Amino acid sequence: MSAGAQAVSVLIEDRMITLTRAVGLLRRRNYPVRSFAVGPTATPGLARLTIMIQSDPSTAERAVQHLQKMIGVREASALPAGGAVACEVALVKVRAPGSRYGELLDVLQLYRASVVDDSADAVIVEVSGSDAFVLSCLRALERFEILEVARSGAVALESGAGTGAASPNS
Amino acid sequence: MTELLTGSQILCRVLREQGIDLLFGYPGGAIMPFYHALPEYPELRHVLVRHEQAAAHAADGYARASGRPGVCVATSGPGATNLVTGLATAHMDNTPVVAITGQVSRAMLGRDAFQETDIIGITQPITKHSILVEEVDELADAVREAIAVATEGRPGPVLVDVPKDVQTGKAEWGAGRGDAGAQGRRGAPFCDAATLRPSAAASDLDHAARLITAAERPLIMAGHGVILAEAYEELRQLAERTGIPVITTLLGISAFPESHPLHLGMPGMHGEVHVNRAIQQADLIIGVGLRFDDRVTGNLAAFARGARVIHLELDPSEVGKNVPVAVGLVGDARALLGALLQRVDRRECGAWRAEIASYVRPRPESYRGDLSPEAILRAIEEETGGRCTIVSDVGQHQMWVAKLYRYQRPNSHITSGGLGTMGFAVPAAMGVALARPDEPVWAISGDGGFQMNMQEIATMVQEGIPVKMAVFNNGYLGMVRQWQQFFHGRRYSATPIWSPDYVRLAEAYGIPGRRVETGAEVEDAVREALERPGPALVEFQIEQEANVFPMIPPGASLSEPIEAEPGRLVPA
Repeated sequence: MSAGAQAVSVLIEDRMITLTRAVGLLRRRNYPVRSFAVGPTATPGLARLTIMIQSDPSTAERAVQHLQKMIGVREASALPAGGAVACEVALVKVRAPGSRYGELLDVLQLYRASVVDDSADAVIVEVSGSDAFVLSCLRALERFEILEVARSGAVALESGAGTGAASPNS
Repeated sequence: MTELLTGSQILCRVLREQGIDLLFGYPGGAIMPFYHALPEYPELRHVLVRHEQAAAHAADGYARASGRPGVCVATSGPGATNLVTGLATAHMDNTPVVAITGQVSRAMLGRDAFQETDIIGITQPITKHSILVEEVDELADAVREAIAVATEGRPGPVLVDVPKDVQTGKAEWGAGRGDAGAQGRRGAPFCDAATLRPSAAASDLDHAARLITAAERPLIMAGHGVILAEAYEELRQLAERTGIPVITTLLGISAFPESHPLHLGMPGMHGEVHVNRAIQQADLIIGVGLRFDDRVTGNLAAFARGARVIHLELDPSEVGKNVPVAVGLVGDARALLGALLQRVDRRECGAWRAEIASYVRPRPESYRGDLSPEAILRAIEEETGGRCTIVSDVGQHQMWVAKLYRYQRPNSHITSGGLGTMGFAVPAAMGVALARPDEPVWAISGDGGFQMNMQEIATMVQEGIPVKMAVFNNGYLGMVRQWQQFFHGRRYSATPIWSPDYVRLAEAYGIPGRRVETGAEVEDAVREALERPGPALVEFQIEQEANVFPMIPPGASLSEPIEAEPGRLVPA
């Protein structure tokens, strides 16, 4: 997690209306949302929404309290800074002349990144890790020509066996 | 034993099952199947309003007065959008309103069909929850869930959107999943009434009790939560046991009897000087069921700087939202006050109360005169013996109604506090009157707000709803004019407002109408309105440029009241 970003993890019913409501709440209450990511969980019918809020912990805690009131939200918690991991995936479309391909591969190795699409005129690179790690990789790739970037937004989980339900926030 | 019913019949039956016997509504294309079924269920009384906004306000008024959910019904598109202001009003003031809207058939959804609007999307930020019913066999549980969500915890409006073909489709009644299905869909438990969060309970209550014992200048601020929880007795006992004076916010008015020696009055923008000064001098504020709204606190940074705050509140997200708290107690006001009562020692606050008494200022001149708001409210109080419910609209008269009548009985003052909805009083009073058939209900409006929903006189006549209407006519949108006078160089832009002849208006509707132009007629006019059966209208032609005093300028602190006309001295 980058400095000042609080991860809020929300288990919601896997329905568009619930997602719309949760996102609408964040907009209406004017929370400084940096990213959100949503996807299925191990439980059918439940999705996990991970929201990175650029704020102090008390603002994140207030967001959790508002989210907890929503029908369709099963669980919401602010993950403890230092007690959670967060990571995201970025796809980066890069154009590198053939003469610099070796140099590109060196950079990718450094960031444990891989080429997932190799076309004649460009490659798509996949890199994952913390916000800072991904940003650092993007910076390293800037020495080539970056054509497009797609970032997933962070997903996060609390360290240890805790599942959020037992956290003091829920 | 199961029965095959249409969605519309299921809707009627589940409303009955949930104890609903009154609907305010207006038919239209997408809700016609429901209206087709309605006559088969004569125990569901339907009140045909003249505008859907009034249906929502009437359901709100009914809910506030009865403590039971109020239900309104509208068709899709414009019918549903007309409910929006009423739902937002109920949302801000936490009242259990259930709105049932027709929707275009499922196959047409999303195709911009005739009278299609995304009412779920539109009302998302102003409802506690909303449900689009996608299958007829989910309809009964959707209504059960809507009523449960609307009434449980911190109440609020819930909208159920029912496509036309769900209303005409058939399902078996009795085969539903019942309440268990509805329960299962609900998320994290939200403030179960009377349940203290285990982590909060004992130690926090003890802490609060110690603060109360140690305080030298404590105050209780009671809000709407006291009324919603019917915690009147517990509040009174806590005040009497500790001798702590009680302030009632606009929505907390009538939570504590105003003749009680410990009653102080209303705080905030138009609060009395001694009340606001007491807040600023306090060393402890016990806030019960209120959210420390900006109209109550004024400039937050300068609010009660010497006071620690104990906040008793049902909704944990309110605790610490506006005002930092020393102790937050989350739960039902009645349960929390009861628990505190067990822990506090008997004490007096004699010196502190004497100090507050020395802050009391004479009532400003603007209330005086022949045909003053004070005289009108005194007449209503005297002629009804205080046995009536007052529903006010929004504006200057709302503040006079809040301050110049002594509310003795619980929940006898009803107003739109949070949203400040002009046009609320007349339709809301219809709901109040149907909830309280045994006592008079007065809808008091200004000439502006009255003209926003005066079409509902027709509803009252058709349905025999005996609301007594008082119009404080000053020919202006008075509160806006007052702000223009104080803060905008007396530029009365768009505030002079023409009124029809209210006596002839009343005549056109076939109800008694009377214009009062002098103070001498006030009592007689009030008495006449009360004596005549059915609805009645009284217009009071009050001083055109009367102002509400004192006033804390917007953004200023509670220590900076305007107490008289700019340029004039405070009356001695």
